[in-house]
Amino acid sequence: MQKEHLIMSMSEQVFEQSVIIGSKSGLHARPASIIVQKAKEFPCQIDFIKAAKTVNAKSLLAVLTLGAENGDQIIIRANGEKADQALAALVPLLEENLG
Amino acid sequence: MKTLQGIPAVTGIALGVAHVIKPLAPITAATQRTCEEEIARLTAALNSGKAQLATLQATMTGETAEIIATQHEILDDPELYEQSLALIQTGISAEAAVTQVIDQFAQQLASLPDPYLAARADDARAAGRRIIAELQGITQSLQFQEDVILIAQDLSPAEVAERDLSHVQAIVTEEGAATGHLAIVAQGWGIPTIVGMAGIMASIENGQTLVVDGEYGTVTIDPDEATRTVTHTRLAHLQQQQKEALQYRDRPGMTADRVPVAVLANIGSLADARKAVEMGAEGVGLFRTEFLAANGIPSEDAQVAYYTEIAKVMPLPITIRTFDIGGDKPVPGLNIPPEGNPFLGWRGIRLGLDRPEEILLPQLRAILRAATVGNFQIMLPMVVAPQEATQTRALLDQALSQLEREGKPARRVLLGIMVETPAAALTLDHFRGLIDFASIGTNDLVQYTFAVDRTNPRVQARAQPLGLATLRLLAQISNSGIPISICGQLAADPQAIPLLVGLGIRKLSVAPASIPKVKQLLASQTLEEMQAKIWQALRA
Repeated sequence: MQKEHLIMSMSEQVFEQSVIIGSKSGLHARPASIIVQKAKEFPCQIDFIKAAKTVNAKSLLAVLTLGAENGDQIIIRANGEKADQALAALVPLLEENLG
Repeated sequence: MKTLQGIPAVTGIALGVAHVIKPLAPITAATQRTCEEEIARLTAALNSGKAQLATLQATMTGETAEIIATQHEILDDPELYEQSLALIQTGISAEAAVTQVIDQFAQQLASLPDPYLAARADDARAAGRRIIAELQGITQSLQFQEDVILIAQDLSPAEVAERDLSHVQAIVTEEGAATGHLAIVAQGWGIPTIVGMAGIMASIENGQTLVVDGEYGTVTIDPDEATRTVTHTRLAHLQQQQKEALQYRDRPGMTADRVPVAVLANIGSLADARKAVEMGAEGVGLFRTEFLAANGIPSEDAQVAYYTEIAKVMPLPITIRTFDIGGDKPVPGLNIPPEGNPFLGWRGIRLGLDRPEEILLPQLRAILRAATVGNFQIMLPMVVAPQEATQTRALLDQALSQLEREGKPARRVLLGIMVETPAAALTLDHFRGLIDFASIGTNDLVQYTFAVDRTNPRVQARAQPLGLATLRLLAQISNSGIPISICGQLAADPQAIPLLVGLGIRKLSVAPASIPKVKQLLASQTLEEMQAKIWQALRA
């Protein structure tokens, strides 16, 4: 257990990027659902950060509480296994107009 | 065969099969089970709920499908699960844990400025109820393959919204008042509804055949052959009538001799606004804003956004009634003390003027801002004296100068009052110069005139909506020199319409589903015939 954890942290890398919300209606139920579902495909910890608030990107309820609107800037941060791939998949979705 | 009596809320008849929505048991935090057992219960409830929703989602389209998809996503939410687990580990029940977590999220969502996101608080609460129902072994049906008559303890607007109403023939609830939220929503959709039917939950089981008579407020359980035959005949007759009325939908309202009488809609939500447009409304005569405040007074920005959305759907004039909130409809965060007699209590404009910074001023500012996009006018509820209009005018001026200083675009709008107290009815001429229009709320006016609590079925028959007392008040109101419209239930009553038009009233505001019928009735008589009716009634 201890050993596994060590190996994990060695391979762990934090990826972070700032994005502008592209959905016309902001992170509403439907765009948020699409993004949350995508986030769930990755094993790493993924957070969205807006102003001082950090939420779990795999939680619809938490993502909705960000109240992120079209044109708002948020930071996406992925930490752990496949963090780079998570970022590569989520950034375009956040920037796209999903409705 | 057995017949039960309730309070008629939406007229119409249905013959069909009962679907009983079992109420949730009260939630207690204390539990006899171990943490592990509670966690296992929660996991099982979430899985079962998700499985049901997935099946349902596959068969649905449009808005309902989206509501269901959101519900599914919430049941699958890792934060909801993790936070509930942490709470269960403090020794409380799964039900209490889920309720706490959902409440926290719902409160955060409700406080967001964006009205769509704020409305997701209802989605969160609906998901919470679903999980609790699963934990208690109750299955909630949201969609029906065949026609059903819904029987419930009570239904909140959210519980109605998440259901597919296309197969709902009628709604009967044990609790509720004729003027409650459910009644108003069902009226907009034209679904026969009876509320306040004591004993219905204990008397009916799933699958029993019922006749629901929304006109008289009766439910007949296991009707005999004769009753069924009569009901079939009445149904066929009603359907024929509806078909005929629909031909009047897109014409402007007018009497047989072509005197224009505008037929407007009473709405409470965006869905109602769409229905109003679909049914041929010539504007909105009453936009009840209380629904917006179901989870607390929304922020000014949230109100601006919501009013703007309504205006986009309905380009014609919209009369917004300021929050008619009181002790009978508790609003979270307002701390209105419970009252022995909330209908005579601290409500409507009284509450708004006494607590302007929290309630009235943000709403006035929001309406003035939204008026740059929509054709809005403001109407005040529960007015008894001219100084209430004067005070509101001062607040309006204050709001306008504030907005100008802040550089926020706004537009001055017309101001009117509801005439729903005998005091306002008898002294309306003293409001001249202070208000631009008045609208008669007949439900409350009748209740206050006859001293009959409209939520109490025992005394209901003593109120006479078309009694001489009401007619004399209506005559007095129509002589005030102020433009008058009507937005109570009388405006859709075939007996009342000729009397109202005969008195000179040229605007009737009714539930969206009633609009074609009202236009049809108007077109059946000349103004002269209507005037003769009211003079005869007043001489009586």
